[in-house]
Amino acid sequence: MDAEVELLPALPPPGPLLAKALVPSLDRGPTRVPTRTVLVTGVAQDRARLADYDRVCGFALRDRVPPTWLHVLTFGLHVHLLSGAGSTIRLAGAVHVTNRMRLHRPVDAGEILDVSVRVENLRPHKRGALLDMVGEVRVADELVWDGVSTYLAAGAKVPGTPEAVPREEFVPTPPIAIWRLPGNLGRDYRRVSEDPNPIHTSRIAARAVGFARPIAHGMWTHARLLAALDSRLPGAYVVEASFARPLLLPATVGAWWRPEPDGGWRAAVTTADGAKPYLVTRVS
Amino acid sequence: MPLPRSAVVVGGNRTPFAKAGGAYAAASNLDLLTAALDGLVARFGLAGRELDEVAAGAVLKHTRDFNLTREAVLSSALAPTTPAVDLQQACGTGLEAVVYIANKIALGQAEVGIGGGVDSASDAPIAVSEGLRRALLAANRAKTLPRRLQALAGIRPSHLAPVAPQVVEPRTGLSMGEHQARTGAAWGISRAAQDELAAVSHHNLAAAWSSGFFDDLVTPYLGVARDTILRPDTSVEKLAALKPVFGDTMTAGNSTALTDGAAAVLLAEQGWAEANGLPALARVVDAQVAAVDHPGGDDLLLAPAHAVARLLARQGMALGDFELYELHEAFASTVLATLKAWESAEFCSTRLGLSTPLGPIDTDRLNITGSSLATGHPFAATGARIVATAAKLLHERGGGARGLVSVCAAGGQGVVAILEAV
Repeated sequence: MDAEVELLPALPPPGPLLAKALVPSLDRGPTRVPTRTVLVTGVAQDRARLADYDRVCGFALRDRVPPTWLHVLTFGLHVHLLSGAGSTIRLAGAVHVTNRMRLHRPVDAGEILDVSVRVENLRPHKRGALLDMVGEVRVADELVWDGVSTYLAAGAKVPGTPEAVPREEFVPTPPIAIWRLPGNLGRDYRRVSEDPNPIHTSRIAARAVGFARPIAHGMWTHARLLAALDSRLPGAYVVEASFARPLLLPATVGAWWRPEPDGGWRAAVTTADGAKPYLVTRVS
Repeated sequence: MPLPRSAVVVGGNRTPFAKAGGAYAAASNLDLLTAALDGLVARFGLAGRELDEVAAGAVLKHTRDFNLTREAVLSSALAPTTPAVDLQQACGTGLEAVVYIANKIALGQAEVGIGGGVDSASDAPIAVSEGLRRALLAANRAKTLPRRLQALAGIRPSHLAPVAPQVVEPRTGLSMGEHQARTGAAWGISRAAQDELAAVSHHNLAAAWSSGFFDDLVTPYLGVARDTILRPDTSVEKLAALKPVFGDTMTAGNSTALTDGAAAVLLAEQGWAEANGLPALARVVDAQVAAVDHPGGDDLLLAPAHAVARLLARQGMALGDFELYELHEAFASTVLATLKAWESAEFCSTRLGLSTPLGPIDTDRLNITGSSLATGHPFAATGARIVATAAKLLHERGGGARGLVSVCAAGGQGVVAILEAV
């Protein structure tokens, strides 16, 4: 890494930062994002919070942590990078459109982690700009997890030819499972993810951005789907996810998963009839 | 009567046992049992394999866990087509589950399976009071709003207190400790003897941990690598300082503590184990259950004394024929009263119908790697913990070495089994 590295003493709680990130940037200049990497070293995982996270997302309580948990650990750094003066894009207004994680090996809840996030690949989109939040988790010097969260910042202006968001292929499929998601799901996931964005918990906040009801956290839906596959997943894999449409709470949704010839999986969370996807994933 | 086929213990795995409310406070029975199964699967390379059956159970069980073992199989790395059954015989559950699988193997109904058990005293179910439950059910049945309101109006403030599970015998209202205090007094079990047994249990378990004995029997879980109730530095003097909690002699030190944990034993037909490159530690020779009439005044926890007598008679064996004795330490007093009962000419004559007492055992062969006082006692897991330990110890002693396993259980029941080294 030759770019600038900002070393933080601890993972910042996203809450106060997000409040700041809700305030639009007054910078009227061209769209800018930070070029530095933020890094926190020596992160001990909170087993009590992990247990709560596992419960809320449907994972069994294991020593090996879910990759989505490692994503949650990076989330405060996402907000940190996109709330400061170096960024004209605010995370609170951006939409998480795709996510890609690679678990390089099983990660134990007792391992001490170095967690970093940087912004990459700011590029034009017909509705604004796309950018990648690239997270990395290391144990000593070994890269054990990396994740790319792609956000769409509506209204941002970046020169060039607009790019489309690559979508995971979706074919309407009868669901294997029907999940009833309660109205308080957003509050439960807020507690374990520390993502306080009120569009997940407040009807008023959700209406302000055009949703009739609070919407589920995309990374909850992602985690819940991985939890359904949990015991069938290997110790190392890549999982790619497309967030197809907002999931308004409470809801009854469908879910399915099927093995691929290459040993991977395709899986989705859909409307209860299986016709439309909320989340489409591929594990390889 | 020879069994048609030999069921052997291939090996075992358990979580370290932890004091209730400690490191496993957030773990459910399902989490714990899954962890024990996955450790066993990892140890013997069974990932993705379909076994013939997994039998396990829990004593403190949520209603949502009606299919606990099957759900644990689905959460584990075993093939999802592995069937499972929930068994429950109070503290005898783990041993009964092992016997169930061994019997199926012996009869040719299975080649390979797992017997085990789990309990979480931390994540115990809390029920609503009987008054509230009845009112809610009546309201649910009511077809009209006024009738529903009428039903709900029957709820009294006193109904709202939650009801925690109790280890109380329904027919006597006595806790297990209170029952054992009566038994201990009747048999003249001294405080000093109980504290001595408890100290030995801790010292034996500590020595076994130090020697690496549990390295292939236990898989760390949630950051816990050793049993947390174990006090290697405890002593008769320290134990003597504790205040009695049941009767005059039973203390927190010579009674088992509330514990969270899970244990599982892999069993297979002997030839199947060989063909699959798996070890065979010990054969399950025979097993017996018995019950006593505790509402009629019998000693609640002495049913294993009866079961052992019947088992020995059927096998044509004597109590002295064993290299090892694994007697579950529900309370130090229970073990000591059981030993006294076997030595008592009167008890063996009037209660067991024997012309001579079963006799004393060599206590140097008793619980030589510690038992429940030091390890802890997650009720349904204990039997599987003991079988795995006994099978390994017998195997170390060489072919033909025999061990007697005995577990007492609530309801005045006992489960016992004989293992023989392969």
